[in-house]
Amino acid sequence: MYGVTVLVFGQICLLGAFVASGFSAFVSFVGCNDERRAFRKYGLYSSVVSYVLLTFVILVLVLALLTKDFRFAYVAQYCSQLLPWYYGVSALWVGQSGSLLLWAWFLGSLAMIFRFATSEKADGLKECAFGLLMANYCFLIATMVFAADPMAQSIAIPGEGAGLSPLLQHPAMLIHPPIVFLGYAAWTIPFAIITAALISGRLDASWIQQARPWAIFAWAVLGAGVLLGAEWAYEELGWGGYWGWDPVENGSLIPWLLGTAFMHTLMTWRCRGILKKTTVALAVATFAMCNFATFLTRSGIFSSLHAFSQSPIGWLFLALMIVLALAGVFLIYLRRAKLAADNKISVFFSREVMVAMSTIALLLLAIVTCLGTLSVALSDAIVGHKIIVGPPFYNYVLIPTGLLVLMATALAPLLRWGASPSATEKRMLFGSAAASGFAMLAAVGWGVKHFVSITVIGIVVFAIIALVSSLCFDVLRRYPNNYWESLRRCMREKRNLYTGFLIHLGFFGLAIGITGSSLGARRHQVDIQQGQTVEWAGRSICLVEVIDRELPDKFIAEAVLDISDNGNEPFTLTPAQHLHRLQNEWTTEVAIKSDWDGDFYVILHGSSEEGQVSLTLVENPMMRWLWLGGVTMTLGAVISLWPKLRRTKKHRSLQPPRQGSREDLRLVVESATRIANPEIGAPGNPRKHRQRRNINEPTAT
Amino acid sequence: MTPTHRLCAGGIVITVATTFLAYLGASSSWQYYVSVDELLADSESFRNSRIRISGEVAPDSLHIAPDRSQGTFVLQGASSELAVKFTGPIPDNLAEGIDVVVEGCLQSTGIVQGNKVLTRCASKYSSGR
Repeated sequence: MYGVTVLVFGQICLLGAFVASGFSAFVSFVGCNDERRAFRKYGLYSSVVSYVLLTFVILVLVLALLTKDFRFAYVAQYCSQLLPWYYGVSALWVGQSGSLLLWAWFLGSLAMIFRFATSEKADGLKECAFGLLMANYCFLIATMVFAADPMAQSIAIPGEGAGLSPLLQHPAMLIHPPIVFLGYAAWTIPFAIITAALISGRLDASWIQQARPWAIFAWAVLGAGVLLGAEWAYEELGWGGYWGWDPVENGSLIPWLLGTAFMHTLMTWRCRGILKKTTVALAVATFAMCNFATFLTRSGIFSSLHAFSQSPIGWLFLALMIVLALAGVFLIYLRRAKLAADNKISVFFSREVMVAMSTIALLLLAIVTCLGTLSVALSDAIVGHKIIVGPPFYNYVLIPTGLLVLMATALAPLLRWGASPSATEKRMLFGSAAASGFAMLAAVGWGVKHFVSITVIGIVVFAIIALVSSLCFDVLRRYPNNYWESLRRCMREKRNLYTGFLIHLGFFGLAIGITGSSLGARRHQVDIQQGQTVEWAGRSICLVEVIDRELPDKFIAEAVLDISDNGNEPFTLTPAQHLHRLQNEWTTEVAIKSDWDGDFYVILHGSSEEGQVSLTLVENPMMRWLWLGGVTMTLGAVISLWPKLRRTKKHRSLQPPRQGSREDLRLVVESATRIANPEIGAPGNPRKHRQRRNINEPTAT
Repeated sequence: MTPTHRLCAGGIVITVATTFLAYLGASSSWQYYVSVDELLADSESFRNSRIRISGEVAPDSLHIAPDRSQGTFVLQGASSELAVKFTGPIPDNLAEGIDVVVEGCLQSTGIVQGNKVLTRCASKYSSGR
């Protein structure tokens, strides 16, 4: 009786959340007009009611998963008695209705933060954006009410649930799906803000200031979700790779690529007043492609590692995507006069041109990825046969577009908005190029053969030298008498700029990891007897023993390997196979030895009674740089969003920055001398600091 | 040439290069994607072509070698069946009665020689009603 009561309570709350969200969306739109601002409070109250009710729904389902209440059909489908509680909770986002519920709840949470967290009262722009958020929120709840009810009752209550697939019982699966859904939900907000700005015609700087932090947050979260998915695939799927250009992987990558381009064109709009239509189109496209990803996973239209599912819900998201695209085109046309550029591109070697070039590259990669993902449907429509393309299709395109993005990113720190580089900056550019050339020659001498690898090494060295010299120049020209104080103030006053550089550094790490692992990976299949040693890739691999273990929920067969590596300290790896009793499924548990120059990755395929095992040995160069690069990118975004601390001390007065290339060069030489001999040049007397706003030195906002 | 024109020219160059490389990639990796029934209805058209076939692993047909490097099964469509012999990594959750996709080619013997088998996602986004 208790279980049925809770079920009914959950169903009532879900229905109530749907009605309240629809009402909130409607009155929020009505309240956009300043003459009808009285409606705004009704929109606010009803949104809070809807959010609270949906929170009850999610708590009911989580409680049911924790208590293994198989009266809930969802719990019976994805849970089992022996499932640990943390995987029981993770079952919330494994299925159709649970994942929709989580996505809707995330969107509701972010909408509440959007509405309440800013100190300004709601104006027409914010109210309109809030109405759009509520409309999308209502759409998600509607899909649950009409097509995928998380509160559905089991027809016959089973004694034991079907359980969670063993592939999903992995730590990465505890956080990868919720982070991806949070990313999709977060991209709704910049979309809502910019759409509200288009509807209202208020395309001044205010919408950029509101949208930018949300865009950074959404980009960071979605990027972290994609990275976690790759990490799960690498460790759990056991094929030695991390990205297979699977349609569902592509579905989450495409909005991230478009979102990256959007953030840079947003910056260009803010600094130079150009690429406005591109920015608007990218905002709409990014959010639309989040729905495209959902369509891919839930329509069953594609063959994919993920998507053997068939549901009408997928088509609803496709319809939403089409509506968004048409509405976006209409609004851009409607506001074309206000979206005209404020300036022209006057210099080729400028930051805005680099942004434009990288936007073209990211857009091309996103379009090609989308076309490859849709190749089955498109080919069926055009030639009458379903044709699918493989990883080489995507990899061939990734090379030129990736190199172009890398190059543009590397050049950007030493270029200016709307002006040619100064003489000093030109010297630094040439210096970076020279260092890059030496690095490429060194790489060739070291044995790197592939031209892409050599080019990536050259670009990365160029970028690092450019970043460091740009930072040094900034530090030295501002506060030549106290480097640490100068560095500290530079980091604080130009936080946006330097966190951007940190994100770019992470991107270069990512590029090194992708290039190394893609072009340098080697595989070797071997059968090995107990006590036997095989040699491969400079390593000696000895099978010590095969161990079988019985656990309550699974049987484990693992191979103990002793590995010695080019005279380094030996280590032990234990790849294994697990047989999960409830599902009667085997899972591969790979063993990985990770180092800065690469991963040594071992897959156990099977063992015989005579003590022979079948292994695949994989060498993946530079893998650790990939993960480190991704983490650094996320960290940079987090730092840029961190609330700024108030300045409590008076700072010493400073000499204003000097003009002139010869003086700057003198400073660099002097300071280099001081660094080498700390006794020279003690800090001078404090002088008055004169602040000057320069578009090429954007102030922190 | 103004900077804008140079940018447009650069954009055109990169677009053409990307399109050409996409064509090269597609021509080296494309496969027909068919169901078992579609394949058998027009098997001559697909013989010796790279194909990806979707179907269900028939009951009592799955045999995997002890070293898990190869196996055989019968792939079932709506109204017909096809024998599959495959080599390469075997998915952990390959089992009878599940939906799979096999990559390979149809041989003159009528057997599909597969080099890759994809299985259903662990997440089940089935229709709720």
